[in-house]
Amino acid sequence: MATNRPTANIHSFESLATLDGAGVRYGIFFVGCPFRCVYCHNPDTWTGEGQRFTVDELAKKVVRYKPYFGKDGGVTLSGGEVLVQSAFVAAFEKRMKKEGIGVVLDTSGSVTLTKDVKAAIDGAETVILDLKFWDDEHYRKYCGGGISTVLDTLEYCEQKNVPVWIRTVIVPGINDKEECIDKYADIVRGHKCVKRYQLLAFHTMGFSKYEKLGIKNPLEGTPAMDRKRLDQLTSYLESKEIVNND
Amino acid sequence: MNNEWQGFKKGNWCKKIDVRDFIVKNYTPYTGDKSFLAGPTKRTSEVKAKVDDLLVKEAEKGVLDVDTENVASILSFAPGYIDKDKDIIVGLQTDAPLKRAINPFAGKRMCEKACEAYGYEMSDKIRSEFRYRTTHNDGVFRVYTDEMRAARHVGVITGLPDAYARGRIIGDYRRIALYGMDYLIECKKADKKELGKNDMTAENIQLIEDVQKQLEFMSALKEMAAQYGYDISRPAANAREAVQWLYFGYLGAVKEQNGAANSIGRISTFLDIYIERDLKNGTLTEEGAQELIDDLVLKLRLVRHLRTPEYNDLFAGDPTWVTTSEGGMCVDGRPMVTKNCFRILQTLYNLGSSAEPNITILWAKDLPQGFKNFCAQVSVDTDSIQYENDDVMRPLFGDDYAIACCVSAMKVGKQMQFFGARCNLAKVLLMALNGGKDEIYGIQVAPEGKVFDEGVLDYEQVLKAYKKYMKWMAKLYVNTLNIIHYMHDKYAYERLMMSLHDTEVERLMAFGVCGLSVLADSLSAIKYAKVRAIKDERGLITDFETVGDFPKYGNDDDRVDKIAQWIVESFYKELVKTPTYRGAKHTLSILTITSNVVYGKKTGSTPDGRKRGEPFAPGANPMHGRDCEGALASLNSVAKLRYSCCQDGISNTFSITPDTLGENEEDRIAKLTTMLDGYFAQDAHHLNVNVLQRQKLIDAMNNPSLYPNLTIRVSGYAVNFNKLNKNQQQEVINRTFHEKF
Repeated sequence: MATNRPTANIHSFESLATLDGAGVRYGIFFVGCPFRCVYCHNPDTWTGEGQRFTVDELAKKVVRYKPYFGKDGGVTLSGGEVLVQSAFVAAFEKRMKKEGIGVVLDTSGSVTLTKDVKAAIDGAETVILDLKFWDDEHYRKYCGGGISTVLDTLEYCEQKNVPVWIRTVIVPGINDKEECIDKYADIVRGHKCVKRYQLLAFHTMGFSKYEKLGIKNPLEGTPAMDRKRLDQLTSYLESKEIVNND
Repeated sequence: MNNEWQGFKKGNWCKKIDVRDFIVKNYTPYTGDKSFLAGPTKRTSEVKAKVDDLLVKEAEKGVLDVDTENVASILSFAPGYIDKDKDIIVGLQTDAPLKRAINPFAGKRMCEKACEAYGYEMSDKIRSEFRYRTTHNDGVFRVYTDEMRAARHVGVITGLPDAYARGRIIGDYRRIALYGMDYLIECKKADKKELGKNDMTAENIQLIEDVQKQLEFMSALKEMAAQYGYDISRPAANAREAVQWLYFGYLGAVKEQNGAANSIGRISTFLDIYIERDLKNGTLTEEGAQELIDDLVLKLRLVRHLRTPEYNDLFAGDPTWVTTSEGGMCVDGRPMVTKNCFRILQTLYNLGSSAEPNITILWAKDLPQGFKNFCAQVSVDTDSIQYENDDVMRPLFGDDYAIACCVSAMKVGKQMQFFGARCNLAKVLLMALNGGKDEIYGIQVAPEGKVFDEGVLDYEQVLKAYKKYMKWMAKLYVNTLNIIHYMHDKYAYERLMMSLHDTEVERLMAFGVCGLSVLADSLSAIKYAKVRAIKDERGLITDFETVGDFPKYGNDDDRVDKIAQWIVESFYKELVKTPTYRGAKHTLSILTITSNVVYGKKTGSTPDGRKRGEPFAPGANPMHGRDCEGALASLNSVAKLRYSCCQDGISNTFSITPDTLGENEEDRIAKLTTMLDGYFAQDAHHLNVNVLQRQKLIDAMNNPSLYPNLTIRVSGYAVNFNKLNKNQQQEVINRTFHEKF
């Protein structure tokens, strides 16, 4: 029987993931991603075979951190693209529910909404959803995939009342203009499920991974995003009041 | 009832010395936030500016001044002031601020060397006074065996207090404020009389002589206070007097003794009772209360001892460990947090951040959230405070213990400690492999045994040899400390500090280990990977080749964490087999201060991949960069070490970048308090918290003048970063910083 249990392909762990969801969180990074975003800072999680874990084994690891979670914290599943392994995720969420630990999914929305993916979203306390670009053309150009699954994911969360945090990485010269923010806002506006919208600064700290992996870095030479400019864009975004603060 | 006790709730404390009873009956728990706090007064800022000038001058010269004419003692120096008109709390160790005194009672040579190092010369007067006097250091070396000398020489036991004073003793300075010296003297005289009724065994004679020495210094302290214009024969009548009386006691102690750590104890909540009474009477305002505490802390920041450069290599940054103990819970379930615990923390804002006093938070699950938040804020802003788990210490030490030095708990006035520095357990492994020979000097230190062959090491065989040498080490270590403390009692007894203890005092003998993570990872490597031993031309194993991966301490991995647990538990079991001087209770710490650098220097390459001379990790920390599952995994590994066998403390230092901890200050505070709760809920003992960028330290190393007050926590204490030498600075920078991109 044991061999039939679902296992997950895990890249790595970060026992103190404070920035991906509320409170103190335990971060688990899954292997595999359908996208190939030009600014990806984790190219080492795209493919390959990491460590294999059953639900029990992974739960055992996470439970060790329960004392740190307080009332807000929990576990955050990220990647790679966590929803590639959605059947496992749904089973794992059930297990976490038994332990009283909340699960946050950090997803690019790159996966088709199958029954398993829907179940995984249903089981999350929050979905952190990347909104990388505003249209299919840009998605295809910079991410190697389309926008439709991203929008489907957002609509599904809206329909099922799953709280969403939207995130967008701002890259100099690609999406760092006010008119880009206008387009992002147009997509998000009207979704009650969106509780937060964060703009993140593109940084170059992932560059060394490309060198190490021998992959061509498409953004070689692109500078890190200027913090001040990011703050300006964030203020501009906030002035649009598209986030549901109820 | 004494007039000075008007308004206090009576109790057992009125009939006998019982400071705890006074506190528990009279303190007012504070469950609010920091909003009541006051900033510095104009006077405070003016005096502070004066001190800052002196500190700059001191930093330029190494020491500001040395009195080479007078031997340090309670009455050797005329009264000293920072500013006679503006000081509220008075008293300095010598007649001028930052002027250091010569204290040869524990060791003459150290004083001579220290004078020379800073361009001074010990006067003929002092030389002749000490020509025919036996110091503690003389006494110890009369008795040390060849084996002890060899162990000390190669550094397998090291940092021993055999050439300087032992420290780590906390006088109950509160007694002076509560009872006045006359009553305390009366009680000691009665004790002496009682002892006179016993049979005159060696133990009883020694104790009677101790009490007589105490009595002499109690009178001297009264005289010292009188020179400053105060009569401390009676109890303190108000908050200002209470602070002053208490400080006189501490001052007398650091005039008499130059031990590495002279901590001040658990004073805030005690003093809060006086402050509350004055606030109620309308004779004091919050601003005035803060000013009193600011002025006390300013004085505590000026405590100095004359040290040699070698000493500074071990204990970097000129530390004095004026450790204070804040918060904690009362045994009756109320938090012992008072407004005065907040005021002590507030000094880090009013006077700027500083390494001293070594503010220690006695953390408990049930501490008020307002206090937890303020502590976390202070950590995020200043990196100057440390945390210790009251929930694991209280069951063993009650609710009136304090921390001495870094992590050593003791019941105030009821327990004292024989400080024992530490032994190098990683080096013991190399000795076990080399049949008792030291891998660096090549000399036989431990009893001769089998030298391991070249080639792959067998775990079971290594473990068997290690156990044998661990047994040898423990016995030698206890016996060495027995000699040291016999001689310290004989030639450098802490007369004043011990006079502020019960006569029938409980003694702890504090052993320590260093190299825990190196040893745990080395054994793990031998067990889980293939470690090949390589011999040098002397036939000694001095290098290793490790093939394959192995679990490393610091990743919450039981396979290696259990090895670390086994090491400390079995070493402690070995220690208790050898009886101690004066029936002291054996305790153990995992603490290195900054000496992990020096210990590493003295230790050959180890099977975990660490090369000869490379620093150890500090305290119980995992080795730099080997904890790869993030901060909490690292904390979980350390939390597995049981306090029950390490009752002298388990030190862990944790550094995180602000951006990793949280998005903004509010978020960082919330996350830090949650993390501390999580760590301590697992019965972990101690945590130093630094919230800062690694880059900031690199900048400070290159441009020290831009960061004059950069304070960071190292192992059990805080230092001004600029006072570390380059090696130590580099080691601190190399330590694991938890950061996320």
